[in-house]
Amino acid sequence: MTPDQAATRDIALAKQPARTARLEGSRWTPYLFVAPVLYLLVFQGYPLLQELVLSFTSTSLLSPAEHTFVGGQNYADLVGTTDFHHVLLITAIYTVACVVLSIGLGLVAALLLNAPFAGRGVARAMVTIPWAAPPVAVALIFTWMLNAQYGIFNRALRALGFAAGAENWLDNPSLALPAILITTIWQIFPFASVVILAALQGVSQEQREAAVIDGADRLSVFRAVVWPTIQPSVMLLALFITIWSLRRFDLIWLMTQGGPIGATNTLVIELYRRAFVYRDLGQAAAVGMVGLSIAILVTMVYFRLTLRAERTKGQR
Amino acid sequence: MTRAGTWQHGLRIAAILGLLGAAAFPLYWMFVTSMTPSSELFAPSARLFPKPSEIGVYRDAFHGTSVTTWVINSAIVAVGTTLLSIALAIFPAYALSRFRFRGMGLVGFGLFITQMLPEAMLVVPLYAIFGDLALLNTLTGLILANSAFTVPVITWILKGAIDGVPIDIEEAARIDGCSRFDIVIGVVLPLVAPTLAAAAVIAFFHGWNEYIFAQTLISDQGLRTASVGLAGFVGELSTPVHTVMAIGLMYTLPAVIFYLFVQRYVVAGMTAGSVKG
Repeated sequence: MTPDQAATRDIALAKQPARTARLEGSRWTPYLFVAPVLYLLVFQGYPLLQELVLSFTSTSLLSPAEHTFVGGQNYADLVGTTDFHHVLLITAIYTVACVVLSIGLGLVAALLLNAPFAGRGVARAMVTIPWAAPPVAVALIFTWMLNAQYGIFNRALRALGFAAGAENWLDNPSLALPAILITTIWQIFPFASVVILAALQGVSQEQREAAVIDGADRLSVFRAVVWPTIQPSVMLLALFITIWSLRRFDLIWLMTQGGPIGATNTLVIELYRRAFVYRDLGQAAAVGMVGLSIAILVTMVYFRLTLRAERTKGQR
Repeated sequence: MTRAGTWQHGLRIAAILGLLGAAAFPLYWMFVTSMTPSSELFAPSARLFPKPSEIGVYRDAFHGTSVTTWVINSAIVAVGTTLLSIALAIFPAYALSRFRFRGMGLVGFGLFITQMLPEAMLVVPLYAIFGDLALLNTLTGLILANSAFTVPVITWILKGAIDGVPIDIEEAARIDGCSRFDIVIGVVLPLVAPTLAAAAVIAFFHGWNEYIFAQTLISDQGLRTASVGLAGFVGELSTPVHTVMAIGLMYTLPAVIFYLFVQRYVVAGMTAGSVKG
């Protein structure tokens, strides 16, 4: 939650002061109750601060206690190298594709599973299976399915007479990213579909019927009635999928380690490579800070947009 | 029904079947591969159905590998992560739902920020911190590191559930002389039990699935978790593929089955949390 959102909620809750006041214990009770989150300061806040400091030093993995302060050199190095521009490009493609494709597929799945049919409950449960599968196992089975000679993908392609049936997906610079995307989308689209399905329950049946009686076709009903209701949930989904895509490590690392020749090298993979392959903790920290800044920036833009949308709705 | 209607209906059914097939196929394929003899795995044409006589692979998987040790370690980490993160999340969730206090927005903001921190970034400083605290190469260390990532999500989900508990029930208990602590444990928690179960499942599987910390913070072979053990097989062909897939399926199925049982509550909790923001 951002301060903006907290403020909105504070305003909403301020309308009922009598209610909460009755429950108020001592002044310090709330702080006592919330104290366990200090745990996060130790295991997230402090390491984050250390990363920030590291990003301004030259530090080797082999002697992590010895730092040489280098100012903004790590950042300057990143800005100056085309390799890093490529990392940013791959990250952008991967993230945007994850958001668009998983929400698109999730929306289609949700619309299909929203209409009544026999066995709907079972179908709804089945669709969530990929989301429950551990990423390491997903990497394992997809790597096998994508195997050049014996993988089922290529066997199917060959059976259909495609020349692509001889390619080793994960070793081919132009096929590795699509392969990683197929795997990722398979794993995450159920989450999108579940959230959208929940949002679809809020669509007014009367409005939908009224629109149909007015002679609206399916697409216009969707645009006029369904979309406005589910839009806030879809926006929030987009935010979460963006943040998760910027963070995703196991799937990509296990399937390609960022290769071949950097074709799947996202920010987080680059960070890990710099830290544990090149043993340069300062550079790695700088990459991490760039990634974190992007995530924060995206979040800020998101809350700006939703806040503006809420305001224009209020003015109507 | 009109002809066009039937046609559309058929198309819809086909789309739903296609969707379900795509969702379930990789796990089915894992199963088929585990039940296919090596000689047939590399044959020109693939076996599309499991060979029942190959069931022995599920027993053989335990010989010559450390599967038993891995699974025990993963279970310890998962249970520990669940207990610790629930214990840490209950009271902050209650406070965020019921109290108004200065700094509340900051706590909420802090919880949200944690969603953006990649494990891959924090693993470097955590490695150093754990070195100082003698937590490297311990399952306790993994539990502590994992919980830092589950506590924010769980706090959020529990807060959403507690929001739905009528405050009058608490007031009644208060008039009866219960302390605030008693109310949380004795009155509120039982009322949000389904969400609590969902939160427990989320924490459990975070611990069960977690890879990068287990890979980086543990070097002792005897303390390897199943995720790290299994990761060692990815893209490697010296261990028989069908054995690897059998291990992979045994690692995956508990997660999937468990999830199917509680998914109703997980979905309710997650959507409540995300819709209310």
